[in-house]
Amino acid sequence: MEQATASPQHYNYDIVKKFAIMALVWGMLGMSAGLWAALELAFPILNFDIAEITFGRIRPVHTTLVIFGFGGSALFATSYYVVQRTCQTRLWGDAIANFTFWGWQAVILLGAVSYMLGYSQGREYAEFEWPIDLLITVVWVAYLLIYVQTLRRRSQPHIYVANWFYIGFILATAILHVFNNLAVPVSMFTLKSYSAFSGVQDAMTQWWYGHNAVGFFLTAAFLGMMYYFVPKQAGRPVYSYRLSIIHFWALIFMYMWAGAHHLHWTALPDWTSTLAATFSIMLLMPSWGGMINGIMTLSGAWDKLRSDPIMLFLITALSFYGMSTFEGPLMSLKSVNALSHYTDWTVGHVHSGALGWVALISFGSMYHLIPKLYDTRIHSTRLIYVHFWLATIGIVLYITAMWVAGIGQGLFLRAFDEYGNLQYSFIETVVFLHQPYVWRAIGGGFFLAGVLVMGYNIARTVLAARREAAGSQAAVAASAA
Amino acid sequence: MFEWLEWFTRMENSKVIALLIFFVLFCSIVLYVYSGRSRGERLESYKYIPFEEDDETPPADDKVKRDGTH
Amino acid sequence: MKHEKIEVNAGLLILFTIIVISIGGLVEIVPLFFINSTVEQVKTTDGRDAIHPYSPLELRGRDIYIREGCYLCHSQMIRPFRDEYLRYGHYSLAAESQYDHPFQWGSKRTGPDLARVGGKYSNEWHTQHLLAPRSVMPDSIMPNYPWLMENELEYADVKERMRAQKLVGVPYSENSEEYRANVERFGKEVADRLDIIRAEENLMRQAEQGNYDGDPTRLTEMDALVAYLQVLGTMVDFKQFEEGYFARFR
Repeated sequence: MEQATASPQHYNYDIVKKFAIMALVWGMLGMSAGLWAALELAFPILNFDIAEITFGRIRPVHTTLVIFGFGGSALFATSYYVVQRTCQTRLWGDAIANFTFWGWQAVILLGAVSYMLGYSQGREYAEFEWPIDLLITVVWVAYLLIYVQTLRRRSQPHIYVANWFYIGFILATAILHVFNNLAVPVSMFTLKSYSAFSGVQDAMTQWWYGHNAVGFFLTAAFLGMMYYFVPKQAGRPVYSYRLSIIHFWALIFMYMWAGAHHLHWTALPDWTSTLAATFSIMLLMPSWGGMINGIMTLSGAWDKLRSDPIMLFLITALSFYGMSTFEGPLMSLKSVNALSHYTDWTVGHVHSGALGWVALISFGSMYHLIPKLYDTRIHSTRLIYVHFWLATIGIVLYITAMWVAGIGQGLFLRAFDEYGNLQYSFIETVVFLHQPYVWRAIGGGFFLAGVLVMGYNIARTVLAARREAAGSQAAVAASAA
Repeated sequence: MFEWLEWFTRMENSKVIALLIFFVLFCSIVLYVYSGRSRGERLESYKYIPFEEDDETPPADDKVKRDGTH
Repeated sequence: MKHEKIEVNAGLLILFTIIVISIGGLVEIVPLFFINSTVEQVKTTDGRDAIHPYSPLELRGRDIYIREGCYLCHSQMIRPFRDEYLRYGHYSLAAESQYDHPFQWGSKRTGPDLARVGGKYSNEWHTQHLLAPRSVMPDSIMPNYPWLMENELEYADVKERMRAQKLVGVPYSENSEEYRANVERFGKEVADRLDIIRAEENLMRQAEQGNYDGDPTRLTEMDALVAYLQVLGTMVDFKQFEEGYFARFR
């Protein structure tokens, strides 16, 4: 049983700090890799004929570092924080929590290095080869164990809803990861493996995974973040707790059906993709229910948007969440998908969710979290504003460029001349893509600049807090002596 | 052995089934959540959980609280 | 069962969450393994399976295709639209990727679809295009892959690779019984290439005969990759089927 020591020593903040800092580090690295990949598409000479950094190898580095490195570490940090604070008990298992930290960092590092060396399963967002997959599984089981044991030690009879979303995310990710990565290694001494499934079944399994990696890793979990940090930062409880219950069950039920909309018009049987499209449309309801619940939390205190840049991050994140969860069902319609699929519209859509929702809600939560962890104040509120505007301008440039690129290319590819022949060759559409690709890279550059500003701001905050702590300790020691 | 699965692959069947499953589940949750004033009040009271920690001093013995003596 | 029980019991919350998230995946994925029409049967005129597994050299080429992340810019899935028919050919059949572990349908076309690129260009074109795409396509944004021509093809473990493929269901043969079954199913010429025991010899012979990289003195990664590209989409002879035949399976 825990001793009633003075907080924050009572909680395990150490593990939260480590994950929070690494989230920022991976964020900076992963977004730099993304910017580089974007520049390679605009200016192919930047591949420099170096195998390790060609687009095909740097792209999985980018996605892995931002999704699992930045997003994953942010989720570990916030979930470990939220579960302690809402259960009012210390995180279970200090050593095993440390294992999840080092294990997860190893996963990210090994993943990135192995892709650059040419080891990949060839499955999007699941490129990790089998030994790394095994490590992920062990870390994840430890994560679930820690989470459940901490919940069991709670001092509240009720489990706060943010924890439901985190639990849903942990369970779904475990199931998705295990089934999508079933593979047979070539030998025990090589990283190479072949998927257990082939063709249609493999495609369906992969996009069941791929879509729900978005649905649970990048949505449900960050909604858990939202349900804690938005009320805390606003200083008022969430708009409707009952709505949050409906939000949870409807969201986790419906997301799992929607994966096949990534395979419209392919060799996948039509019944599957139609079913997926139907559920994708219905997903709009829980998605918007959750968004409204989050935004309405601020009802009656809208003035906070003028005075609090952290609130600005959180509410803008929810707005982008609403926008991209509207765009998603639209793109899952077979007629729209016929044009949008295989084009940059998809890339733009993913980034309106990933930059607009995932990254902004994480930034907002971090700006709230880190000063609390170090018992200090943020170095510069002005720099938070700078970050906010850099990020927002970056996102808008990015997704606008991708709309132009995607819809433009889609229309060019299906254009016929008066004789019924194709009007444009494929390479002509590539020429057209150059300008949007340049603008996309500029947008990405803005976003990355914002993250660098955040990195500076957080570094100053943490260093100052450490100096202060060391100083007060020295003072205590001096007075005791 | 698995021929019965074919029944689900026909659009006219599977659409209705999916709709029914979803609808029943959804209705039962909505009914549960929004029926009864006392349950509503109980549920809404949980939204204050994130603010109960603000004294920054968690209870010394969480066991007592969990046993329902709070 | 009261919802309140779920709210206060972590175990129940977990159990119900697992049930709720499993339904969608079960309904959409499991039937695909059992419904026979999911993957159509495609026979040649003499009753053999038209779609056959890759030869050892092609398999090594496919590994390189995955290593370089080609699937991130090139799809291998032609959709049933007129513009795609004119640009790439007949839409892709499920059967055509039935031996693809993993599938490489892709999700983005920064470059064109490759499902039927086999036979469209010469070996010389492919080699030159992979070495320096802009020397044949001035506006291309594809990276250069000069190392494909520099690296000797490693094939010491090709048998192990084929055995792993066999373990996940690809009909490579390792004994006379399996070999005879393959002769029955694919014809002798194909069955010979699917024999694991003769893998290395087959691999070298195909590379020598094909001379894919234009340099007969060396066996390079370019040989394997071009061999793979040249087989893509060539297994089904669509002239043999009446129009609309494959639409029945959609």
